[in-house]
Amino acid sequence: MNRYEVDLSGLHERASATLEGRAPRQRPPTEPEATGAPDRSLDDATLRGRQLWFARAVMTPESRALALTEDDARRALTPGPRLGALERLEIYRRGYHCRLVECLADDYPTLQHAIGAEAFEELCRVYIERYPSESPNLSFFGRRMAELCRTELRTATVPYAFCADLAALEWAIVEVIHAPSSDPLTVEGLQHVPADRWGEARLVANTALRVLRFAHPVNAYFQSVREGAEPAVPARKESATVVYRSGPSIWRMDLTGPMFEVLSALLAGEPLGDALGRVEDSLADLDEQQTVERVMFWFREWVSSGLFVRVEV
Amino acid sequence: MANRFGLPDLGVGLGLRTVHYGAIVETQPEVDWFEILSENYMQTAGRPLHFVDAVASRYPVVMHGVSMSIGSTDPLDRAYLQELRALRDRVNARWVSDHLCWTGVAGRNTHDLLPMPYTEEALRHVVDRVRHVQDFLGAPLALENPSTYVEFTGGPGAPGAAMREWEFLARLAEEADCALLLDVNNVYVSAYNHGFDPREYLRAVPFDRVVQLHVAGHTHHGTHIIDSHIGPVIDDVWRLAGEAWRRAGGVSVLLEWDAEIPSLLETHAEALRARRFLGEEAA
Repeated sequence: MNRYEVDLSGLHERASATLEGRAPRQRPPTEPEATGAPDRSLDDATLRGRQLWFARAVMTPESRALALTEDDARRALTPGPRLGALERLEIYRRGYHCRLVECLADDYPTLQHAIGAEAFEELCRVYIERYPSESPNLSFFGRRMAELCRTELRTATVPYAFCADLAALEWAIVEVIHAPSSDPLTVEGLQHVPADRWGEARLVANTALRVLRFAHPVNAYFQSVREGAEPAVPARKESATVVYRSGPSIWRMDLTGPMFEVLSALLAGEPLGDALGRVEDSLADLDEQQTVERVMFWFREWVSSGLFVRVEV
Repeated sequence: MANRFGLPDLGVGLGLRTVHYGAIVETQPEVDWFEILSENYMQTAGRPLHFVDAVASRYPVVMHGVSMSIGSTDPLDRAYLQELRALRDRVNARWVSDHLCWTGVAGRNTHDLLPMPYTEEALRHVVDRVRHVQDFLGAPLALENPSTYVEFTGGPGAPGAAMREWEFLARLAEEADCALLLDVNNVYVSAYNHGFDPREYLRAVPFDRVVQLHVAGHTHHGTHIIDSHIGPVIDDVWRLAGEAWRRAGGVSVLLEWDAEIPSLLETHAEALRARRFLGEEAA
């Protein structure tokens, strides 16, 4: 069973520094939000009015021209000694988009690698506009990236379905980082189960664990990128992976189809006997002894990896 | 002069950063104290808590937040405050700080430290909210002066700022009876961006309320300075920190380094430069 630790040293902080990034790529000018009519929201000089106006300006996508003139901006903002009011405002607009792009790049480094920095940044800008943050915390801001890949990503070279798979794998890592976990089940913990009751035993899974099935071998791709290679985007081929946390370390383990079936059933709360019954057909070429050995091998790996926290009979 | 809240001078600290987790846990360096980014340990029950618990069991910890949004006209986020208080209790934080700013409005969060209009209306608003938060925490809240890149006008017929930041900050601290985290680099950055004298700012600060100083590197673009927390602290900022430290009568100092973060050893060495500059001021 291939098992890989996830290197988390590249994770950045959510810090108080100002981000500036670079200006977005020049594109054909798009329509500003308004048509050049005076911005009536500037008439509201209350604290609330100023905040609504400022937030709207800052969150306007950088690809869109601000519907503001320097004279408009000076109704709310002072010019500085070296920059006009609009230029000063632009520092905040750029910082807003840059921070959120950086956050998504933190969560999806392999997706970024797969589609390239430029396409990734474009995808992020769509994401930021469609799913603006409503939380004081950025940890879960990127949770809808796989969904966006399925519906919005259009790159010439990388299939969107592969990107959605990759995003799902990378998001599982984020979830597992933050999920609670308990002390794992040990071999000693198994010994209280009478031999004749194993069929009805239910295994309670570690909550810092996600089992995923993909249409592409994304775990192998992910690992290859992490090792510094430049793998080609793989063709469609079903795969399955379990992502889990053991102490502070995050691991990924490949699963075969039957392993996925059994593990998913166990996580869904099925008794062990029923879970094993799901793969009788796929293990039909093994004799009884071989089947027992195969299943016991999986089981030992899963228990020693800490996928379960207790067994209930 | 010790601060009026009786909060201790912890010495020279470092901002706790993910890239240093392993080195801190393994080598247990002689760092006086660590400042944690509150939100990095909220809405999580996993890996971040594993490390922050290890750090808090060995070092004094102070909490520094970026999402309280004390200046927003949206209601205070009670769930956020509850989680903040629980984290404070978990890590035995010596104090809790955040910024004089707002981060979002109408339910949206920009995750940036947005500037306040320094008006009487804003002052009343923030004073009320700081009092509420302090009641909730049962402890003084330390508010940090942010780096700013714009200033709001005073409203119709008042093209200049209604109040300068240092005046707003001093009145806020007095009327809300809160503590201050004076970010000396932010004073320097804003002074350049808005064209004021940083020493005029320092003269207005009520230093009996200052419980902590921040220093950091920044990025100078000629037309403006960005508070990027990158690279070493320039000597002018250290000298300003020395003056602030002297006016405060000795106070906890913390280095923030958030971009291209070097090794723990190098970051700590930069922080310890504080002793030289503070020593000069003290001499």
